[in-house]
Amino acid sequence: MAAAPTSIRRTLMLMIFLSSGAVLALTTTAFCTYEFLTFRQSSVQQLQTLSRAIASNSTAALAFDNADDASQVLAAFKAEPHIAAAALYDTHGKIFATYPHGRPAASFPARPNASGYSFGRGELIGFQPVAEGSKRLGTLFVESGLGAMYARMKLYALIVGLVIGVSLPLAYLISRRLQHRLLHPILALAQATRAVSERHDYTVRAVRTGAREFDQFTDTFNQMLTQIQQADGKLHAQLGRLSLLQHITRATGERQDLPSIFQVVLGSLEENLPIDFGCFLLHDSIAQSLTVSVLGAAGRGFADSLGLAAQVNVPLDANGLSRCVAGQLVYEPDVLRVPFPFPQRLAAAGLRSVVIAPLIVENQVFGVLVCARREAEAFSSGECEFLRQLSEHVALASHQARLYGALQQAYDDLRQSQQTVMQQERLRALGQMASGIAHDINNAISPVSLYTESLLEREPNLSERARGYLTTIQRAIEDVARTVARMREFYREREAQLTLERVDLNRAVRQVVELTRPRWSDLPQQRGVMVDLQTELSDFLPDVMGAEHEIRDALTNLIFNAVDAMPTGGTLTVRTRKSADGSASDQVLVEVSDSGIGMDEDTRRRCLEPFFTTKGERGTGLGLAMVYGMIQRHSAGLEIDSTTGQGTTVRMRFPAFTSSAVSTARPSVLPAAGRRLRILLVDDDPLLIKSLQDTLQEDGHLITATHGGQAGIDAFAGARQRGEGFDIVITDLGMPHVDGRKVAASVKTLSLTTPVILLTGWGQRLMAANDIPPNVDKLLSKPPRLHELRAALSELVS
Amino acid sequence: MAVLSKTLRALLFCALGLTVFLRGACAAEAPTEYQVKAVFLYNFSHFVDWPPQASSEPNEPFVIGVLGSDPFGARLDDAVRGEQIGQHPLLVRRFRNVGEVGNCRILYIDRSEGADLGRILAALDHRTTLTVSDLEGSSQRGVMIQFLTENNRIRLRINVESARAAGLTISSKLLRPAEIVGTSSGD
Repeated sequence: MAAAPTSIRRTLMLMIFLSSGAVLALTTTAFCTYEFLTFRQSSVQQLQTLSRAIASNSTAALAFDNADDASQVLAAFKAEPHIAAAALYDTHGKIFATYPHGRPAASFPARPNASGYSFGRGELIGFQPVAEGSKRLGTLFVESGLGAMYARMKLYALIVGLVIGVSLPLAYLISRRLQHRLLHPILALAQATRAVSERHDYTVRAVRTGAREFDQFTDTFNQMLTQIQQADGKLHAQLGRLSLLQHITRATGERQDLPSIFQVVLGSLEENLPIDFGCFLLHDSIAQSLTVSVLGAAGRGFADSLGLAAQVNVPLDANGLSRCVAGQLVYEPDVLRVPFPFPQRLAAAGLRSVVIAPLIVENQVFGVLVCARREAEAFSSGECEFLRQLSEHVALASHQARLYGALQQAYDDLRQSQQTVMQQERLRALGQMASGIAHDINNAISPVSLYTESLLEREPNLSERARGYLTTIQRAIEDVARTVARMREFYREREAQLTLERVDLNRAVRQVVELTRPRWSDLPQQRGVMVDLQTELSDFLPDVMGAEHEIRDALTNLIFNAVDAMPTGGTLTVRTRKSADGSASDQVLVEVSDSGIGMDEDTRRRCLEPFFTTKGERGTGLGLAMVYGMIQRHSAGLEIDSTTGQGTTVRMRFPAFTSSAVSTARPSVLPAAGRRLRILLVDDDPLLIKSLQDTLQEDGHLITATHGGQAGIDAFAGARQRGEGFDIVITDLGMPHVDGRKVAASVKTLSLTTPVILLTGWGQRLMAANDIPPNVDKLLSKPPRLHELRAALSELVS
Repeated sequence: MAVLSKTLRALLFCALGLTVFLRGACAAEAPTEYQVKAVFLYNFSHFVDWPPQASSEPNEPFVIGVLGSDPFGARLDDAVRGEQIGQHPLLVRRFRNVGEVGNCRILYIDRSEGADLGRILAALDHRTTLTVSDLEGSSQRGVMIQFLTENNRIRLRINVESARAAGLTISSKLLRPAEIVGTSSGD
């Protein structure tokens, strides 16, 4: 690389020297030759002219044989010092006269040669004929020395030497100068080229030097550099955008929700493209409007002056936005020139150029990306293309996020369903088990119920204390029966037909407080925790219409929750009051307040959801759900006030019982008068048979008790053959081998008019299912209540 | 002895040869007086211009005449043999007396006519004839060119006046080596 300029320099020097030397040599040679030839020629001519004159003048001397005169004529040569010798010959060729005087005749040619002039060694010799008119009179010999010519040649040589001596250094200087001018641009170009190739710095420019061709060359080179620089710049910009695209794509790929995808895209664009303002608008194809989804963080100032904020609507009129929504990428290089509202808004906010790229998924534009800059015409075509590609990527990522969200939702739903199914399955199994247990318990408590009711009814002499005990036993039995019935509700699929009755809420509260005492008093005391339960029961509280047992259950659940919310003890208050507000219909409020840990907002919002629990494994998540179900069934209201760390108040609002709905709270059926019925009793439980038989016999009925279904059928058939017959058949449903349905069917086959009452431990379930079997006239659940039995007997037989 | 006689004999031959050569050379180098004068007569035709009417006809001979006894003999004829002046052939004519002289360009007046010179010249007056003579003092008497002999050399004495009077123009080249005289009024 370094050798080249040296070589060029040397070559140039050599070139200039050789050429100037050659020119000098040729010129001087030509000049000398020319001068030599011209000098010779002019010498000849001069000599010839002189000789002619002398010859002409010497004619008379020759013609009249006057040698003196001839010598005088020849003496005229003295005027020409270069004439070395001259001689006249007569017509016979003899020397007639000579010049200079005294020169020996032998030094002249013995005889004249043919006329003419010739150069000898160091002299010019001429023979000129001497004639007068046509008469040849003799010959003139002239010898001219060439000393003058040599002198002149010497002078020329001196001049040539001087010229060369001066011109070669001059040539050297000029060549140095020219060489500098010639080499300077080449070296500058070489330097520029080296800079470009070594540093890849395309901003380098070769400097113009003033030489036309080099300047053209330099200009062309610079032009080429400019083009390369532009191409390089474009390439870099393209690469930058590509890596930005990749960066954004990767970043969006890591996010699954639209706002965060939009946020990361806008952040990257603002930082790296960069843009001054960016936002995503979502398109509502039905409302034909755009809604601001996400605004770029850096362009917040613009967003404020644009009046754009999240969830703000941007009308979609005949402007760039509508074109974009139609699927086109819109680039407005100068929004000042676009008369539509949205660009004008941008212009008013100080933005000049804008690119609006559609987000298209499956040929539907679901949103647009707006990118803007302060300067007009600030987006190159490459950037527009980049934004178009980016919008495609974003659209794809958004689509995937949506798909992912939908998938996640579906998965969650599926898991929820699965859990529900599993829960239901578990409950079903539990319910089946509970159902069996309930059947047995109902059977077991049936005698207790029957005897207790019978004793209270028929033994007026009972002491007050015994009557009180019996009453408590009866209530406990009823609660057992209801508890057993509720056990089945865990898996019942439809709401049981709710039989409403007048409920005294104060009484229900007292009962529940008593029933739950072990939970709020005894268990905490064992742990050394004190729960102070206070009741603030309003006097003159109206009754409400409702299912008392459900209300009691709800209260029980609420008290349990309140106790659980006070692990370190506290005050539990149960209040009843008439609603103070002046609404049309009176309401009765029941409040359960605790001073416990309270609930946060999220928990408060979700606490009614089934299976939502804060108690971990201890809770089923069903308590409040059941409360809510009860509230719904009673057309009542439920309010929960809770403050974290300060406690929770749950308020139930029941519509007050109005006087128009007066009915007898408890049908008091007196023992049936008069009619003595023949009753066939079919059951497989001896205790139940015994208790039923005892109580019904006390009512004066004639009871035939059979053990088991087949025995019952046989008894009925036998009595009928004997012509005795039965007025009514009471049969148990669940019996081994022959169940109540078969008994009923057989009875109806034999005597269609004979009523059949079916007793069942599953009674409520059957009722709930509207599932009164054929051939059964009345379904009664266990444990049978005396007044129900009496009502059924009198209804069916009368 | 033999060698010596041989040398002597060679020397003898040399001397003899040299003598013969020198004699030959002397004979060539020394033309007779009239031989020279004959050539001079002819040569005059080259250095003198005659007026145009003197030779009206193209082939009219250019006559060189000799008046009186002829001193040239054949020498004059030899000198002009084969020569011509322009278109005019040269012709040598000899005249006994001046009356015979007709159209003659150059007339040599011999010494023998010295007594009649005045009459001759008068007869030739106004005729374009170049008169030449070697009579003593003839040029002063009106002869245009007189031959003189000085130091064995023949010199010329020219009377330009009489030549001009006759309408002849004598070349200055001829005048330069010659002696110029005028016509003396004594005779």
